[in-house]
Order: sequence, then structure tokens, then C-alpha cells
Amino acid sequence: MDISRRDFLQIAAALGFFGASSDLLAGASKRVDEITATDIMDFKPVGKVTLLHICDLHAHIKPLYWREPSTLISAPNLTGTPGFLCGKSFAEFYGVKPKTLEGYFDTYLNFEELAKKFGKMGGIAYIKTVVDEVRRDRGKDNVLLLDSGDTWQGTAVALKTGGEAIVKAQNYLGVDVMVGHWEFTYGKERVRELIDMLDADFISQNIIDNDPFSDDFEELVFKSYTIREVGGAKIGIIGQSFPFTSTANPKRFTEGWSFGLRLDTLQEYVDELRKEKKVDCVVLLSHDGFSVDQEVARRVHGIDFILSGHTHDPGPKPITVNGTVIIIAGSHGKYVGRLDIDIKNKKVVDYNYKLIPIASNLIVPDKRGVELVNELYKPYEKELNQVLGKTKGLLYKRDTFYSTFDALIGEAIHDEMDNEITFTPGYRWGTTLLPGDDILMDNVYEMTAITYPEVYTFELKGAKIVQLLEDIADNVFNSNPLYQQGGDMSRLTGVTYDIKIGAPSGKRISNLKVNGKPLDINRNYVVSAWGGNLQSAGENIRKSKIRPVYDITADYIRKNGTVDISTRSNVNVVDIGCGCPKAGGIC
Amino acid sequence: MERRGFLKGLAGACALTAVGAPTISLAENKKPKSPNAITYKKALEIITKGKGAKDSEKINLIVPEIAENGAVVPVKVTVDYPMDPNNYVKSIHVLATKNSNARCADVFLTPLNGKAYFATRIKLGGTQEVVAVAELGDGTFIKAQKSVKVTIGGCG
Repeated sequence: MDISRRDFLQIAAALGFFGASSDLLAGASKRVDEITATDIMDFKPVGKVTLLHICDLHAHIKPLYWREPSTLISAPNLTGTPGFLCGKSFAEFYGVKPKTLEGYFDTYLNFEELAKKFGKMGGIAYIKTVVDEVRRDRGKDNVLLLDSGDTWQGTAVALKTGGEAIVKAQNYLGVDVMVGHWEFTYGKERVRELIDMLDADFISQNIIDNDPFSDDFEELVFKSYTIREVGGAKIGIIGQSFPFTSTANPKRFTEGWSFGLRLDTLQEYVDELRKEKKVDCVVLLSHDGFSVDQEVARRVHGIDFILSGHTHDPGPKPITVNGTVIIIAGSHGKYVGRLDIDIKNKKVVDYNYKLIPIASNLIVPDKRGVELVNELYKPYEKELNQVLGKTKGLLYKRDTFYSTFDALIGEAIHDEMDNEITFTPGYRWGTTLLPGDDILMDNVYEMTAITYPEVYTFELKGAKIVQLLEDIADNVFNSNPLYQQGGDMSRLTGVTYDIKIGAPSGKRISNLKVNGKPLDINRNYVVSAWGGNLQSAGENIRKSKIRPVYDITADYIRKNGTVDISTRSNVNVVDIGCGCPKAGGIC
Repeated sequence: MERRGFLKGLAGACALTAVGAPTISLAENKKPKSPNAITYKKALEIITKGKGAKDSEKINLIVPEIAENGAVVPVKVTVDYPMDPNNYVKSIHVLATKNSNARCADVFLTPLNGKAYFATRIKLGGTQEVVAVAELGDGTFIKAQKSVKVTIGGCG
């Protein structure tokens, strides 16, 4: 694709929608069949600096379907605020119209119907076309491509190459700076190797060496910031990797590294960049999560822009907190965020932002990207293209308590382990399959490709199960964003329960039943779990039964041929009447 | 700062921490009746000799929002106050409100410490408030507190 602003204006005139060029969401008001690549790229440039932003690619180098949540429940004080919006509440807040391209990308509404019209999302060859077009339009020395992390993990090609395939993809895209989270689950040594292969700078002000026997005890593990000259301005970019990596993921991968928000040192680096390094603009490249970063902006002063990630929120419009502008670019390669900045007299005076949807049907893919993807998939094609079965209904991830693809994984584990309860993690990455789609081995990996895929089966006392669920609920529904870890509730198979989100910590869950019978707090239950830490709380681990979750899931689908998963949640939310409430809990 | 004076202050700190630590280490899982069990309220009363402590921004308490490991939670305390021979921060105390022995560390300072600064690691039996108390030159006490979440974790 090669559309200049002049071409655009000509096309716009021909289509008869002049005036739309000043509208941030020019495409939003157009019918599905009217949208063109020009609309996607339409943008009113500002100043000389452009920051392009991607986050949470989760190793999806090929386009995919990705349905946004139909349930996104939060603590009552946060309900209806950016980061806790979905479906209609999202559309209303951001002014996104249903049945438009934005409606399809940003919400679950009419998803299946629009999926057929607009097709798949993301893919590096399509992202590259958009990135190159902006570089050509602005001049390549005036553009930086920044990556908020969760890039190296999430698909089979990533897992099987130890992350290398994705580093190649980043180098191809021309990523300039990145931070991390799931990156660290390849282990410290591998992370160092991959950073050596990576052309981008890997920065983090919040990872400190914590090994008392190390020469670097209490020193930074990575550079805290980088300063780049862009468009004649000096931009200071501070890195913030996921603050809770060592609690959310197994500690063994990052033994000796200490994480945390570290807002005190963040403030020091902001001040250092402004006062000593005399930068014109301070950017925080972050994997804190959208709601956490809003809290960071309240507490840390002097950041111009936060480029957020982790919670997978599409943010069609920037939000401003305490003078800091926060943007976030969804997940799975669905979007590229374009931020133009006007800097005068060493100060940010204006900006413009657009979340560009990577609609694969409308964008011409870059040839070299298509070749690279083919090359990276080639060694694994035979295994990954195996058709395991079919799905009758929509298989999706996301949602606060229940999602069909997780329910399928839970069923598969239950079937093999002969257990009473299955815990499946509330990650926010995965894939979406449309009704009637074949389920490929590749799709199973898209839901499960982690470096610790083992399913553990063990015994857990009833009382402990309640305690664990309350603990997880307190991480997800905490009223203070700084105590949230940014995932969804663990999914349970074999269990039903009621939850009162607004109840105090430790008192949210009631009416807990295992296979229809009230939970006995004094009895031991046979529990399976993966992707977390739960086995450490249990006893009598069945060592001979430990097996990777992707193998268990693949076997189950093969055995069944066609899977038909109920869309009914096993969790009853007592105090909220819908999945996407507005502020005040209004449905 | 003279090395001797510094060591004197530190020695006091170590001795008292050592008394406190073994009790706390029992606090986490098994929860036996600790012979040294002491509530936060009681500990604060003893430390401040019944005077109580006022919340103050002069104490800077640095703790993680979420503990990476509840068994070794890093705590840093600084007090923005002179360390003059006649007017200095006399002591810094670290308390964990819900541990069976709430009293984690008592550090006694002299003007030769030069700066009212103390860092250690404490064990937390669960999510709770960590409190730093300091005695000032005039015999009054100030405090700051922050919540630390102790969780099994897990999410994406």
C-alpha cells in the first residue's frame, strides 16, 4: 500500500465524505462495505515526532480472530472507567458505533457476523505495511516503534524456537525499544541471549538484582531508560516491565531478580531526564496494565506520555490523568497506535493519536513479511496444521469468569485426570475460533504455549480451595489498582459459586458447590491445575499423571471430533446484573 | 560519620532484630501459640511508652505493594529530621500489624549515625499493614504505614 495524503484526499472526495479527515475515527461512521485502507490510515499529522506503539502481540505473527470480552467486571469504584469497559459500555464511552470496523475490533458485539465481513486481525506483514507507510509519510528519522512487551510468548513458533522467531519478527518490524513480562518465562539466561539477537533496546527501571552473592547486588538488571533523538527532539523513554512477574509467573525463571512498581525510583528517573539530561519529552514505556498506569500517573509527576500494555485494552482515545496522557493498543497485533507529538521550546505543546486497526482484508501485506512468516512456520507446519476436530460454537478466551475455550481445556483435563476440580488460569491471551471452524494443533498452542505447561493433579483441602479463590478474587477485584495483577479470575471446572464483587476481601465467595454438592471445608478434593502456583498449596501430587496441557487438550479434541461447549458461565455474580456495566454498576 | 558510632547503632539493631525474627518465622503457616505473641496495639504502646505516635510525612517507608516472597519482604525507612548532637532521631521501629509478634525490628540511633536510615527484610504472615515508628529528639513519636499484599499470585 502506498497512499499519500493527496491520494487520500482524492479518494475522500470521490467517496463524498469530506470533513472526515479531521475526525479521529473517520472510519467509524462508515458502513462495513465502504471502509478502505485509506480510512484506516487517515490521520491529521501534528509536529515532527511520531511514536508508533504496539503491545501484547503474544507472538501472533499471523493474523487471527480475537474477540474482545463480553464480561469485564471490576471493583465498584472502577466500574465503567477505562480498563473496565466492554461491549456497549465501551462503545458508549468511546463513541464507537456498532457494526463498523471499530465496533468489530473493539467490542464483542456482532462479532461472528462482522468476522465474516472483515476477516482476521493483525499479522506482522500487515503491521509492517502500516508502520512503513507512517515512516514514509513522516520520514523514518522522525518515527520510533515502541513495544510494551508480552511479545515473545503465546504461539507454538515462539515456544518451539525459545522466543527466537518473534525476535526475528521484531527486527523485521524495526522495533526500537521494548520492555517485558512473559518474555521472562524463557528464563534469565535465554532472555539475555534473545536480547543479544534483538535490534531493539530492552529497558526496565523496575528490575533490580536481588542475589546477595552477585556482583551486581541491588543494581539495575537492564538500562532504566534510553534517550532518542527523533524529529529534532530529545525523547527520554523509561522502561517499566511487569511489576508482578515474580508472583504471577514461576519464580524460578527470574530467581535473583526483584520486580515491583518502584514508583520512588521512577520519579527519580523522570526528574533526572528532565533536569540533568534536559529531554524535551518523557515517555514511560510500560507493562503495568491500563488501570495501574492511571494510578501511576496520579502518583508520579512529570511524565508526558505513558504507552501502556498488559491488560489488553484497546484505547481508541487517549486518556489524561494528572497531565499525563495514557494510551494502550489492545493485544494480539490487532492495532498499531500512532502518536504524533508537537514539541516547541523543549515542551510538548500538542499531540494527536489514533489506534490503527490492522484489518487484514483491507491492508496489502508486505511481501517480505509473508515470506518471513512462512519461513518461521515451515519447520513446524506438519504438526501445527493437523486438524484435531471441529467446534460447533464460538471458542474464545477473555471474559472475567468463563470462556468457552477455557471450558474446553477444563473438560479435557477432567476427562484425563478423573479429578473433581480443574483450575485453568485467567490469562488474557489466546485465540478465537468461529462456529464450524476446524481446530488445529496451532490453535491449541495459541491457548497454552507456555514454558511451564505441566498439568498437576493433587489434593487440596476444601478450606484451602475457598482461601485460594478468595485470594485470586482479591487480586482481580481489588479496589486499589496497585494491588491488582491484571488478569481475569481463574476458570474452574466442576465447581459453581456465587460472588459478590463489592464484598470485603476474603468474603466475596459463597454458595460454593463441587459437582452440585456444597463444598466440605474439611474434606480433601482431587484438583488439577496448570499455569499457576496452586500445586504448591496442595499435597499428594500424582507425579505419574503430570503432562503438558496442550497434549491433553489435543487428545481430547481428537477423541471427540466435534466439540460443543456451553456458553453458560458457572459463576453467578450477585451484585452486578450484566457483563459490561457502566459507571455506578448500571447495566 | 565515625565508624565506631555507626557500628554501635547497628549492633543495637542487629541484637533486637535477632530476638524478634525467630518468633515471626513461626507466624506464617503453622501458627502455633507463640510465647512472644504481641499485638500491634500492645507493641506500639510499649515502644511509645503509652504516648502513641502521630502520622507524619517525615517518615518515608518504602515497601513493595505486593510481596514477591512473604518470607523476606524488604523494608526501608528514612526519617527527614536532623541528626544533631542535641536533637536527633533516637530510634526507628518496624511493625507488622497482623503478625503474631507484631514487633519486627527496633533500631536505636545516635547522632553519629549521621542519617536516620534503616533497611531490613521482615517476614509477613499474610496481607497486612507495615508500620514504621520513629522517636524524635523531643521524645515524641511519629509513624507511617503502608499495606503489603501477600498472595500466592497467578494471572497473565
